[in-house]
Parts: sequence; C-alpha cells; structure tokens
Amino acid sequence: MEDYLPFVISGLGLGAVYALSGVGLVVLYRSSGVLNFAFGAIGALGAYVAWTLLEADWPQGLAWCAAVLAAMALSLAYGRLLAPRLSHRDPTIRSIATLGFALVVVGFTEWTWGEQPRRLVLPTDGGALEFVLGEVEVRLTHTRALGLALAVLMMGGVGLLLSKTRVGLKMRALANDRDLSALLGIRVLGVDTVAWILSGAFAGVCGLLLANIVRLQATLLTFLVIPAFAAAIIGRLHSLPATVAGGIAIGVLEALAITVPGFAAFRTATPFLIALAMIVLYRAGTRSA
Amino acid sequence: MNASILEGAMPVSDAAPAALAQAALAQAALAQAARRARRSLVLMVACVLLIGWAVPWFANAYWIKTLTSSLALSVAAAGVALLYGQLGLVSLCQYALLGAGGWVALRAGHGLGWPFELSVLAGGLLSCVVGMLAGLPALRLKGLYLALVTMMMAGGFQVVVNVTGFPDGGAGWLGRVFGSERLMMPRPALALSDAAYFRYVAVWLAAVLALIELHRRTRAGRSWALIRRGEAAAVAAGVNILSYQTWAFGLAGFCAGVAGALLAGGVGQLDGRAFTAGESVMLFALTVVGGVYHWAGALIAGLLLRAVPALLTDFGVNGYLAMIFFGVALLHALITAPSGIAGQLMGVVDAVRQRFAAPKDKDAAP
Amino acid sequence: MQSKRRIALSAVAGALGLAGFSGAWAQAGPDCGLNTGKPATGEPIPIGAVVGKTGPDDFSASGQAAAAYFKCVNANGGIHGRPVDYLVLDDQWNPETAAQVASKLVKDRKVVALVGSTSFVECGANAKMYADEGVMVIAGTGVPRECFNARNYVPVNAGPRVSATIAAMYAAQKYKAKKMVCIIPNIPSLGNWACEGPKEWGKKNGVTVETLTIDPGSADATSTMLQAAAKKPDTIIMNVPKGILVPMLAAAEQQNLGKKIHFVSAAPAYNVDVPKAIGPYWKGNFDVNLEFNPLESAGPDNKNWLAVMDKHGAKSDPRDTFSQAGYLAARLATQAMLKMDPKKIARASVTDALRKVSDFRSDILCKPFYVGSGNRHNANNSGPMASPDGNGWRFAPGGCLTADDPELVDIRADEQKMGLK
Repeated sequence: MEDYLPFVISGLGLGAVYALSGVGLVVLYRSSGVLNFAFGAIGALGAYVAWTLLEADWPQGLAWCAAVLAAMALSLAYGRLLAPRLSHRDPTIRSIATLGFALVVVGFTEWTWGEQPRRLVLPTDGGALEFVLGEVEVRLTHTRALGLALAVLMMGGVGLLLSKTRVGLKMRALANDRDLSALLGIRVLGVDTVAWILSGAFAGVCGLLLANIVRLQATLLTFLVIPAFAAAIIGRLHSLPATVAGGIAIGVLEALAITVPGFAAFRTATPFLIALAMIVLYRAGTRSA
Repeated sequence: MNASILEGAMPVSDAAPAALAQAALAQAALAQAARRARRSLVLMVACVLLIGWAVPWFANAYWIKTLTSSLALSVAAAGVALLYGQLGLVSLCQYALLGAGGWVALRAGHGLGWPFELSVLAGGLLSCVVGMLAGLPALRLKGLYLALVTMMMAGGFQVVVNVTGFPDGGAGWLGRVFGSERLMMPRPALALSDAAYFRYVAVWLAAVLALIELHRRTRAGRSWALIRRGEAAAVAAGVNILSYQTWAFGLAGFCAGVAGALLAGGVGQLDGRAFTAGESVMLFALTVVGGVYHWAGALIAGLLLRAVPALLTDFGVNGYLAMIFFGVALLHALITAPSGIAGQLMGVVDAVRQRFAAPKDKDAAP
Repeated sequence: MQSKRRIALSAVAGALGLAGFSGAWAQAGPDCGLNTGKPATGEPIPIGAVVGKTGPDDFSASGQAAAAYFKCVNANGGIHGRPVDYLVLDDQWNPETAAQVASKLVKDRKVVALVGSTSFVECGANAKMYADEGVMVIAGTGVPRECFNARNYVPVNAGPRVSATIAAMYAAQKYKAKKMVCIIPNIPSLGNWACEGPKEWGKKNGVTVETLTIDPGSADATSTMLQAAAKKPDTIIMNVPKGILVPMLAAAEQQNLGKKIHFVSAAPAYNVDVPKAIGPYWKGNFDVNLEFNPLESAGPDNKNWLAVMDKHGAKSDPRDTFSQAGYLAARLATQAMLKMDPKKIARASVTDALRKVSDFRSDILCKPFYVGSGNRHNANNSGPMASPDGNGWRFAPGGCLTADDPELVDIRADEQKMGLK
C-alpha cells in the first residue's frame, strides 16, 4: 500500500488536468456540436498572457482576468466569424476546422514568446495537503486540489446551466439541429455567442491551471487535448459527471502504471487504452455523433 | 432510364418498340460510360507516370527528396480519401498505420534481407490487417465517435513507437542497433539513386491509385455507395456490410502500409517522434483539403503535406509563421471548397471542356 | 566662474579623449581570421549548417554565432581573400526534413564542410550521407549518441553522457553520495546511452546509479519524481532538456524532495533563464555541469566571442552555450582553412585539413581541442560545475573536471596516438 499511495495522490493532480480539459471539451460539444481541437491552444495563449503580465508585476487577480478575457476573445472570434461558415458541414469537418484554428494560435504563441524555460507560479502553490503513510510522504499542492474542485464545480454548474436554464435549452437545441432551431425562432447568433464565450472562459481557466500543473509550453498544452478526448469518450461526449470521473480515473491509473514493471515505459498510453476498452466493453447500439 | 446498375445489362423483353429503343439507348450510354471510365483510368496512370518520369529532369536534390516523400504520402492520402469519400468514414489513425507498415518493411529489409518489393508488400499487408481490426468498431460507431476512437488508437501507437523506435539494422525483435552506426533501408536494385527512386515511387503510386479506381468501378464501389446511402438500402440490396466495410478499411490500411514502406526507403530511416497522433489528424485534414472525390486530391494532399512546408523552408520562412499560414490555409480550404482543391480544379476543367465541346455534341445524351 | 568653466572644459576634453580612445579601441574590433579590416572579394567558399529551430527547443543560436563569426571573417580579408558563403537551414526537429536540407546543402550547394550544426535529429539521419559524400561536420552541439559515434561528425561540446558523468563524479566527491538515480528522456539513442556514463563510472568507483527513463511528452512530472525518490537515492542526476527540467524541479519542490536528496544536472540546465524559473528553493542544492567555461568568464577568447556577437550578430541572438559552441566551431574551421592554399579549397582538401586539427586552443574550452582521424570524436570531455544563486550562477571552486567515463577509452587511445596530453 505504501508503494501505491504516492502515485494515487500524484495521479489525482494529473486526473484534475484530464477532468478539466474533458469537461471543457464536452461542454462545447453539447452546446455547439463541435469538438474543439483549439481548446488547449486558446488556454495556452491565456496562460502566456498571464505569465507576461505577472513578470511585469501586475497584481495576480488582474493577470488571471486578462488571461481568461484573452481566451474568451479568441474563442468568440472563432465562434462568430469562422464557425458559422461551416455550420452546414458534418460535425467531423467542423471539428477539423478547429484544428486549423489551433495551428494558427499555437504558431502565433510560439512565434511571439519563443522557447525559453518558463514557469507559471500561482499563489496556491505554496500550501499543500500532506499525506504520510509510514516512511512515505506525499503532498498535494493546493493548486491541484483546486483543479479537482473546479472540475467538479464546473461539472455541476454547466450541468445545471444546460439542463435547467433557457439558455442551456437553446444551446442544446442548436447543437442538435441548427436549421430546425432557427425555424423555431431561437436566436442562433446570440446563443452561439454565449456558447463560445463560455467555452473560452473554461479554456482560459483550464489553461492557467494546466500551465501550472503540467508545463508552460504551448505545443504540449495544445496536444494535451488528445488524452483529454479520452476522458470525453468515457463520458460518451454527453455526461459531465462521467467525464470528470473518467478523467480522474485515467490520471490515477496512469500514475499507478509506474509501479507495473513492464508497462511503466508505456504509461502515457493509459488514457488511450482505457478509452478503447470502454468503447469495446460498453457498446450501446449504433452511436451516432 | 430504368436500368438497375446492379444488374448491368438490360434484359430484353417483348415490350413496345419505344421501350426497346430506350433500352438500346441506355445500353449505349452505359457502354460509353464504361469506355470513359477506362479512358480516365488510363489517363490517371499515364499522368502519374509522366510526373514520375519528368520531374527528376527539373528538380534539384532537395526537391527530388521532398517530392519522393510527397508521392509516398499521396499513397496514404488515397486510402484516407477512399474511406471518407466513398463511405463517409473518418479514420484518424492512418498515419499510425503508415508507421506500422514502415516498421515491418524496415524489419524485413534489414533483418530478413527481403527484396524491397516484398518488404513493401509485407508492410502493406500488416497495415491492411490492422486496418481491418481498427475498422471493426466502425460497424457500431459513426461519424465523430469513430474519428475519436481512431484518434485514440493513433495516440496509443505514438506512445508505443516512441519507446520501441524503428528498426535500423540491429538484431532481436525490435531490430535496433546499439554499438554501431544506424543503417539505412536498402533500396531496390534498380532504384538506388534519388532520381530513380522517385520514379519507382511514382510507379507504386500509379499502381495503388489504379487498384482503388478498379475497386470503385466494380461491385465493391457500388456496394460502398449503397452502404453510404444507408444501411437499410444496402441490406435491402443484398450487400454484405461487414465484408465490404471491413475491406475498405483493409484497403486504406494497405495504402498506408505501402506509403510507410516507401517513405522508409526514401528517407532511409524512420524516427518514432515523427508519428504523433497529430500527424494522423493532419493527414486527414489535408486529404480533405486536397479533395476526396478525385484521385488528383491524393496528389495534392501529398504536396500539401511535404512540398508546401519544404517550399516555405526554402524561402526561409520561420517555422512557426509557416504553421500559422497552414492553419489559415486549412480553414480557408475547408470553408470555401467542400470537395477540396481537386474538386475546384476539376470544376475548372469541366467548365473549359464544356465551352469547347458544347457546339459539337449538343445532341448527345447526357 | 573661471574654475567652473575650466572644470567643464576639462570634463569635455576628457570625454572627447575617452571617446577618441574608445573609438580607436572599437576600430580594433573583434579578432577574426586575418584581421585585415578589408572585405574579402574572391570566389565564395560554400559552408552550411543544419540546426533544430522549430520544435521542442530552439538550437539555432549556434548557427547564428557561426554566421556572425563568418561575417567578421569576410569583413577582415576572408580566407586569403575568399569570403565564406554560409547558409543555415532549419530541420524542424524532423529527421525527414533533416535529410532533405542536408541533401540541399551537400548535393545542391556542394558545401565544402558543415560548421555550427546543432540538431537533435540530424546526426542519426545524415551521418551516413556525410561519410559517403566525404564531407566533415564541425558541429556546435551534439546530443544523441550518433553525434559522438560518427567518423565525419565532430561536436565541439562534451555531450550528455560525459556531462552527466562529471555531475555524478562531483556529487560523489562533494556529497559523498553512494546511490544515485539518473533521469533521462526515453528517446532511442539517448535514453539507453547517456545515463550509462555515470552508471559505468559508478561501477568502478563503488557508486550505484540507476537509470529512469521518462516520456518527454508526459504531462506528469510529479509521478516521475516520486518514482525516483522511492528508490531512496542520495543524489538525483537530471539529464533532461531545460524545458522539461523546470517542471520536474517544480514537482520536486512541491514534494519537498530537495530536503533529503541532492540534485545535480548535466549541461542543458546551464542557461540564464533557469535560476529564475526554478526559484529560490534550489539555491545551494542544485549543481550543474558546464560543457564550456562560463558565459561571463573574462578570458580573451570568451570576450572575443561576445565582441563578435555584438558587432556582427543580431541583438536578438541569444548569447548562450550554443552560441559559444557555434563560435568555436567557426573559429576552428577558419583556422584550419587559413592554413590551406586558397586556390585548393575544395571538399576533399578541407576534410583532410580538418582531420589534421590537433591543437585548437581557447579559454572557452577546458582543454585543447582536436579532430583527428579516429572513428568517432569526443575531444571535449571536461567542464566546470556551477550552482544557481538568485538570478544568476555561482561557480564551484576547482575549475574543470575531466570525465572518467569508461566508454572514452578509445578516445584516450586516439589522444595517445596523436601524442596529446
């Protein structure tokens, strides 16, 4: 048991990463029908903005707000200017188009800030929850605990938004059938705006937390969406609680995989393996997305 | 025209003369269509072989190497276009299958000393089998979900190949060499120089494209068209969905495997870090941009994947600015050209042809 | 009033005098090549370089430094009147691209040599082609094993294996460490090679060293650090690029591992941005091996490097260890070519001349550098140690340490044969 505790705790930090990104992806999918490949890229840009402002001695709160605002602006720009032009194509093409946007954002971020070792330090890094078992000591920084808490909060909040509010209902309708919703009198552009701004805000917050927990490096943060898709698949692109649970499970299992002798070198494949296993074991008829 | 295309020729009955004349007309049109199809197949093969023959005269060493990789990737793009254009299925793991085929070809070439063609076919065969296995979930999943699942497979391959690497002349299962220099994949005896190898790859590309076209124009193509229309229609027409859909995945896998082997022969070595899941996504994206409904789309996709970045490097454009340019180009192409650049080109060609042909066969049946 | 004016006048005179003096000093300029001060106008000598710019890290500083040095040489008479036509190409960290751009340089532009290359992927992709075409590469910095195991590839730096060995030797000496863990990315010719240096040295000196390979794309640094700590080492040797080093040290700090375990690192950690990024927790508990003498050392060649960069480089060019390496490579190649007949400068003769280099001295290097005709090259195998101190680095007393890596036995034999130290 002693051998496993450190990795369970560190896996919770990683799981928070996957859960947050997964929720962000599923939220946008449920509200606009698009799987946003640019989620990580937009968040990364926000994190770089925050880093630059913190280096210039801005107060913490303002730097974070700027980061989230930048992410929201980017997300809105895509959602209002580019996404409507593809609204008649099939969902896969619309998702691939966000990949184009991701390339633009990552290219811009790397070109502007360059490759220099950076660290985004948040005030919650200072404190930590300590777990001691015999000789083994593990710490879960407050930032990671905050990440976990936020994942659950977002899940609850967005779940409520989508299921209990009018705006949520309209978002779901739009994602389901855009043309029919327009015929019914739903203000398409207005609801789109809300959906993309919401997604941008999530991307900004996720970006800040991920840049702290993982690494402040644009390309890595962008392609972290691919394991995050595994969490989204576990949630069947629909259920937020399952996405959060799935993300945390993937994180813990990936960390625990270190203790398995032959598998340790391949442990970064854990999210993919679990997602594939879920697909194989829980086939539920023809799933159309 | 009330001929069922599944039945082929129209049965002659003792109907009214008008119906008989109609039937004869339909048969003539069918024969003309078949002739046109054969002509376009020959034209396609001739085009590719001409490119293969002509380019080394004009290109310098840098461009020959780049265009060789381009043609190799066109083979893989043809497979992706097959799956998406014919069946509407999105596979985001084709670059991983390319890597798997390349791995087998390298292992066979280094360790077993097989002739190059056999190594290529071995790579193609493995990727064909793995592709068919990857296609099994497709029977239950559609659209975005299938795309995500194949992307997960690509992610898994990325991790595995990063650890195992590619064979480079050593012994053992993994074929990695430790104490000495890494070996290059031995090229076929009649294609040792870069220019000769370029022509060799062009021949393979022509063969694979012809293979796909032949599938399209025969029973397989018709079955795929019905499956795309809807499972109910296909089942009603007596099409075995399992075998035809799996075969499409197998064929696409074969294309990817052959492409991987040809790429390995061209570059000499493959590196595990170049096979990320993102590459598979880019392959699909640029194939769609190139055009999935026409064979020229595969050629254009190959150029977009290798020649355009090489051009930007040649001009000294910063790699990240090139990334921005690519993203913009991808967005633009997806928004303005649903059938890809090849579709736009064919539209232009058709318009030109109609302008010149209009006065002559005004009376011909459409 | 009179005295004030006199003071003012003498101040102005003094300033003018100083200006004149510094003007004369500036005209003396950096020391490059023949130092004639006249631009070279003969037939250009094509030289190339392959650098990894677009990708996980940016190594282009060595190409930029070599370019600055060659510009200086061209402004000072060139190679006996012939200017150097230098072209640097980016391989984008992709072996396929590396093969393409190397083809362009070697086969299309027909370069006589490659100078100042620094790439993670090009050694493996191109070493055979360089050998087949008979062209020598005086590289700035090499990283994977292939760079240090090729006949035609000569890195000026020490390499991650030698660097990690020196760091391990230092830890054993300073902290009396008996058990170490060496962390390295699982990239094929790096993960199974660079940590073997400390391991084999340790076997001969009563120190156990275990290797821990990591996936550089992994999002989870904490589990890796916990895994390393679970082996209860005295010292952890970090042999990872600086982009991965910073989050791993951050994870170690969050787990408070620095309290019981000493951390040392190979050369990639030595960079001006690292001390600030890793923070004050590591002051006094993190020792880094350098491949060259410090960036701010006062030796004449080091100052010349900075002067060359100031005069002929761009302001945005980093002045880091890659830059030092590129400068050294360019200076070595220039020195070798200046010994040749300018009319006979061609690939084969340049290759011969470069192989004959046997006593290249610089205060940036710990020991004289050489090329030789051996089957592999690792002439730089010593370096000093440093430790982060606030926003900068403090250097350990004791100067350069030489690696005692058992794999260097063939290098030592070559040195004996060449009659060196």
